[in-house]
Amino acid sequence: MVGQGQGRVNDAELIRAAQQGDRAAFEELVRQYDQPVLRLALHLTGSEHEAKDIYQEAFLKVYRNLGSFRFECSFYTWVYRIVTNLCMDQLRRRQVRKEDSGVRVTSEGEEVDLLEQHPDERAGASPEQELMRREMGKRIAQALTKLSPRERMVFEMKHYQGLKLRTIGEALNTTEETAKNTLFRATQKLRSALADLKK
Amino acid sequence: MNCDWVRENISLYLYDELADDARHELEGHIERCAGCGSELQAMRIFHGDMSALPQLEVTPNLLASARIQLSSALEALPVRRGWRWALDPMAMIRQFRFSPALASVIFLVGFGGGLGTMYHMSTSMHAAQSGVEQQEASIAGIRSIVQDPGTGQVRIDYERALPQTVQGSVNDPQIQALLVMASRNTANSGLRMDSVALLHGRQDDPAVRESLIYSLRSDSNPGVRLKAEEALAPMVKEDIRVRNAMLESLLNDNNPGVRAGALKALGSVRGDTSVQQAVAQLAKEDPNDFIRQQSARVMQQLGGK
Repeated sequence: MVGQGQGRVNDAELIRAAQQGDRAAFEELVRQYDQPVLRLALHLTGSEHEAKDIYQEAFLKVYRNLGSFRFECSFYTWVYRIVTNLCMDQLRRRQVRKEDSGVRVTSEGEEVDLLEQHPDERAGASPEQELMRREMGKRIAQALTKLSPRERMVFEMKHYQGLKLRTIGEALNTTEETAKNTLFRATQKLRSALADLKK
Repeated sequence: MNCDWVRENISLYLYDELADDARHELEGHIERCAGCGSELQAMRIFHGDMSALPQLEVTPNLLASARIQLSSALEALPVRRGWRWALDPMAMIRQFRFSPALASVIFLVGFGGGLGTMYHMSTSMHAAQSGVEQQEASIAGIRSIVQDPGTGQVRIDYERALPQTVQGSVNDPQIQALLVMASRNTANSGLRMDSVALLHGRQDDPAVRESLIYSLRSDSNPGVRLKAEEALAPMVKEDIRVRNAMLESLLNDNNPGVRAGALKALGSVRGDTSVQQAVAQLAKEDPNDFIRQQSARVMQQLGGK
């Protein structure tokens, strides 16, 4: 608890220094929060290039609006609020363009099928099981794209990022209860999409 | 507690989102209700299936690249304090727009009076068509360029400057400011190298440090980059922008000597996971034998495997 308190004090000092124009303080602040931001953007877009764009846009927005941060919420929540909005905008654009994010795109523009790169190495995994796993993986990737941007964000943040529903609600500028309901809808849709594969 | 409530909250139970009393009641209900027990099992399988999708991970290169890109974007933003613009000749150059009728070569040879910039400009054969004789002029800033669409004549308003000499201690702020400008002399790498060498030891000054970082990142001459790297090395632990610039050099510089210098400087940085991850990756995969071996040695120093 003392360690956590010390961490928050340090954050507040960094934030105040950054608000005064101290760029080194801002970059130190970025380092404390940027890995989960980049991971979230990468999981959602499947593209290193797009993930870096979202990362940059998010932290430039943080920088530009830092003066208006009044410590009314945690800095962590505030950053996530900015990032989730950008991610949802990106998801909306992809839905309009009907893009499938089933493959990863590296910075060099190379498309990489993750399922090819991560074979099931468990002992006794048969070719049939491997085929089933790949089919499941493709169906999961497709099912995720069928969720609304909001449902996708909530599911991603809960299931893959492990955030608390309260944090998710704050990031989406809504209540924990609404986030819970959204998660329930997303789960039902995904289960339904995968149900016939299991039969 | 009924089955409907249980089925709505089973996922939250698996995510450990339920309050203690709700969790206790749900577990009690599931023990008594086979239907809800099956639902719990089905949800566990669903969670397992969703987690089985291979997850994209952030590589050290991607993280470093994102940080560097952000750092560059931040540098392009206007700074609240005015010293950077006052000392940045590139800001003045960026405001110039040249008529396509005028082909010219501009290079920086020196400056006179305070923080002004002097350009040595010579016009090409094309300019002769407009009736301007080829001549050399000492020009301190171009204020405007306007082309008359009817006649094709170009009007340029400019200011002239007198060449001057200043002499003083390297600790003199005016001398330092001029050295910073000289470090960005695009034509003369010798001038850039001399100025960067003289700025060594003055990196506590934010303007000097900024300029050295710029030289490390952007100078086309590896000798200049090496000098800037030597000057910045003592700051690598305390200044994150210096660390980012070193990391960028280590990963992307095309000169092995510069990369080796960056690796040596970063070897003193403990507790930075992005440095450790980048060095670990180089120790495994770098095509340059020396960098690979040195990275492995630095990994041991940093306490890595």
